[in-house]
Amino acid sequence: MMKLKERRKPDDPGDSGSLNDLSFLLIIFFLVIAGFNINKGYLMQIPEKDKPRLVHLEDLVKCELTADGAISLDGSTVTAEQLEVKIREKKGEYPNMTFFLLIEPDAPYQSVIDVVHTIRALDVENFSFKMKEAAL
Amino acid sequence: MSDVGFLLLIFIMLISLMNQRHEEPIEYSEAARIEKTQEKDNLEIWIQKTGRMTVEGAEIGYQDLELLIAQTIAEKPLTRVHIIADRSTPYKYVNGAVSILQKMQHRVVSFVVKEAL
Repeated sequence: MMKLKERRKPDDPGDSGSLNDLSFLLIIFFLVIAGFNINKGYLMQIPEKDKPRLVHLEDLVKCELTADGAISLDGSTVTAEQLEVKIREKKGEYPNMTFFLLIEPDAPYQSVIDVVHTIRALDVENFSFKMKEAAL
Repeated sequence: MSDVGFLLLIFIMLISLMNQRHEEPIEYSEAARIEKTQEKDNLEIWIQKTGRMTVEGAEIGYQDLELLIAQTIAEKPLTRVHIIADRSTPYKYVNGAVSILQKMQHRVVSFVVKEAL
């Protein structure tokens, strides 16, 4: 007598294997997509407008960001690398150093971020920023 | 197992639809070392290089922005305000939004940046 091959029933749970794979791939896809919506960057403390802080003159580092993105430190133009070196030196000398950034109105936002990045990388705690008033 | 998988899939799809945000066509600023600034409640202010400011896809002026921030903070005081500006935006436009926060004595703002590769 010929032996017939047993057919799989349509509701055989073994058939959903590829479906499982697909659903898990979709889950991973949506999880990754959800991760794209998370904002990352820098948390900035906005200085109080009418409450100036008293800082020792020797603790203060005043930096200016010009409209073309150039960094000016104590009146001389420096590169981002030079700024990093100078701040590191100053921080070693004055641990309570306060970094004050004066930004020209037309300075590109990326330049501001570059300076903030340097400051954060060097763990400078006292950081303040302000836009330079336009000359009348 | 596949039932659980599909339930999870539907759940995650719904969550990601709920979290969907209105993206503006900007070129992000980049930095190497950044931190997560996202909170449970967030308000995103998008600023383009022309100074055009939008919140949830709608263009907004400084006066309306002030009202919106006041309203949002009154309802949810722990709302995190994010500024998402184009990398070549003149700072004066960003400062416009920062000044409003300063005026309202909202002390913290998030400058959103893309991680540099």
